[in-house]
Amino acid sequence: MTSISGPVVVLLTVLQWAGRGLPSPVRPICDPRVLDRFIMEARDTETALRGCKAGCGVTGTFVVPLTNVDFVVWETKDTEQQALEVQSGMSLFGQALGAVRESVSRVAVQILIDNNKSNIHSLGQVLRSLHIQDLPLPPAPAVGDLVTRKVSSLSELLHVHTNFLRGKVRLLLTNAPACQQNST
Amino acid sequence: KKMTNDNLNKLLVFCVLFCAQKTSIVHGAQALETKVTLLLHAEPENPKCFAEGMSDLTCFWEEDEERAGFTDQYSFIYTYQNENSSECSITALPAAGGKRLYFCRLSQTQLFVPLDIRVFRDDLLIHNRSLFIELVFLLDPPANLTLTSTGTQGQLKASWLPPSLKYMGDSMMYEVSYTMAGSHIGKVEEVQASSELILRGLQSGTKYKVRIRVKLDGISYSGYWSTWTDPVLMETMPGDLDPLIVSLSLIISLVLTLLSLLVLMSHRRFLLKKIWPIIPTPESKFQGLFKVYGGDFQEWLGHSTGGLWLRPAYFYSEEFPAPLEVLSEVSLGPALPSSALPPKASETLGEEDEDEKLKRVDSALMERWRETPQEHWPMDQLRAIHQHPAPWTQSSLLESHDAYVTLNAQNHSGEEPLDDILEETLPLQVLFASGRTSSESRSDLGSFQQSSGLGRLSSQSSFEYPNHTWPPKGPGYTYMAVADSGVSMDYSPMSSSKIDDIGKGVIYTNEYKNEIPAHRRPIGTPIHFAF
Repeated sequence: MTSISGPVVVLLTVLQWAGRGLPSPVRPICDPRVLDRFIMEARDTETALRGCKAGCGVTGTFVVPLTNVDFVVWETKDTEQQALEVQSGMSLFGQALGAVRESVSRVAVQILIDNNKSNIHSLGQVLRSLHIQDLPLPPAPAVGDLVTRKVSSLSELLHVHTNFLRGKVRLLLTNAPACQQNST
Repeated sequence: KKMTNDNLNKLLVFCVLFCAQKTSIVHGAQALETKVTLLLHAEPENPKCFAEGMSDLTCFWEEDEERAGFTDQYSFIYTYQNENSSECSITALPAAGGKRLYFCRLSQTQLFVPLDIRVFRDDLLIHNRSLFIELVFLLDPPANLTLTSTGTQGQLKASWLPPSLKYMGDSMMYEVSYTMAGSHIGKVEEVQASSELILRGLQSGTKYKVRIRVKLDGISYSGYWSTWTDPVLMETMPGDLDPLIVSLSLIISLVLTLLSLLVLMSHRRFLLKKIWPIIPTPESKFQGLFKVYGGDFQEWLGHSTGGLWLRPAYFYSEEFPAPLEVLSEVSLGPALPSSALPPKASETLGEEDEDEKLKRVDSALMERWRETPQEHWPMDQLRAIHQHPAPWTQSSLLESHDAYVTLNAQNHSGEEPLDDILEETLPLQVLFASGRTSSESRSDLGSFQQSSGLGRLSSQSSFEYPNHTWPPKGPGYTYMAVADSGVSMDYSPMSSSKIDDIGKGVIYTNEYKNEIPAHRRPIGTPIHFAF
């Protein structure tokens, strides 16, 4: 457990706030239904584009995080480590969906992808409301990394995206310290 | 010694743990049996797998006993995504219906990642399945289901204890089933991420049976419905009467009461007659019996005039002696305007057959009787007879076939008492009528009473003198002539000529009552009696 002195934390927070230009929400968002909505929309997108012919014209490979959760192992990690995993994964998905958006030509597909990208951005806001500061992202993952893997189709990308949201992201939000005071 | 103590302590701990585990094993076995049964119906794929907690997975498949092989013939290979395969150890358990179950249990699992399962029997793939473990949860049913009253009509509050699973509380979904005790039709209510539910719209004062089951909501986690809890019974609060219903029923009952009262009042006489019938009294038949004579029947008899009960037939039967009957038709003397008769009568008195003469007289008289007005001829005739006493004294009258009875007043000479006067004959005795020639039907005349003011009367019957030698009575006698016209009767006292000659003889008249009933009174027949 790293111990950060008080003034340093304040300084970092101020810097991050200044850097981002975005005020953190005052009230922590602990309602699980918020994330549930993101999960359902991601699932709907996955279902809608599963039957897409030729992968909806999307080619290439995408780097995605691992979604598996071993609870025993997970509970040994602290909130920060969990947050790091979640945030890095969300960043990877953001990049992948951005690339997909540029590849697709059908408007309906574009709308769905845009929605998911928006949800990822909102999720970042939720994390910030829980005082989970944005941590510097790790460098681009190398091949063979233990925390990432590659996918080659849109449907698989979306599937992994859904699993990631259902698993790690949800566990992190449910057990965030800021929400533990409110929960019964 | 220390070693022994340590060993003993270890043994003790081991025993405790073993016992505890045994108890839990027993419970677990029962729970497992129910879950297996449930999944055999709910899950079509093989092998059937379920997760009870966050870190476990139980998979099983079923085979017939006959075709079942040894456990080492089977191999259970599972592979997580992006990982190497692993093998699970298989255990076999017998099942009902000649089946065998093969189990594989994983104690460490990864969620949110696809799991690939393959089952081999003698290197032959028999089952293949890919699943997410967080989507096959089969939880234990909620515990401690309790029902309480909310204090409001038709409501019950159900509360329970959610399954104690970490991270799962807000993902749990419950189904509450409530039915009226004894009924098969029940309702179901769903509730999410809660540990209590208020059942509304229940009937008051009714016993309800409530049970609950749990399932994950399917957003992050999913699974199968758990088994139902044991039902819990509770009676709802007794219902208050709806004020609208109470007021309506009051109004209706009031209206009905008024209507029934009206009907009763309008028919009260009839009802009184039926419920309290009037004791019949014979007062209407006996006028004045109770009011005037106070129930004294004897007195009433003596004074009654109506005498409806006094049946004339009862008294006027032939068996009873009638108090009086009057002479029938009288063949009057030739005192009529026709003067032919008297001379004839006088002339032929000795020579002609008196019967024929009388018949002639009779017929002539009859004719005259018919001609003259009935109101006047009796008196005229009588006066005529009086004026011509000779034939009268010759008693043509008395020589007729009719029977006569004379009533003699007692002389002071002291004639022997007439014993033959019956007591009943203070009124006149019955006379006979024979030789009627009138076409009119004339029955015997009615009788009438006569007062006994004249003293004792004697009576003689004309039948005592069969030879028509009715001796004239001397020296004279008074008589009352009665003329009955059928409508009225005229009475006039008369006396014989001798009495007149004598110049004495006060004629006393006394009142009497003539009670000849109308039907017996022949019309137009004069009634004479002599005394």
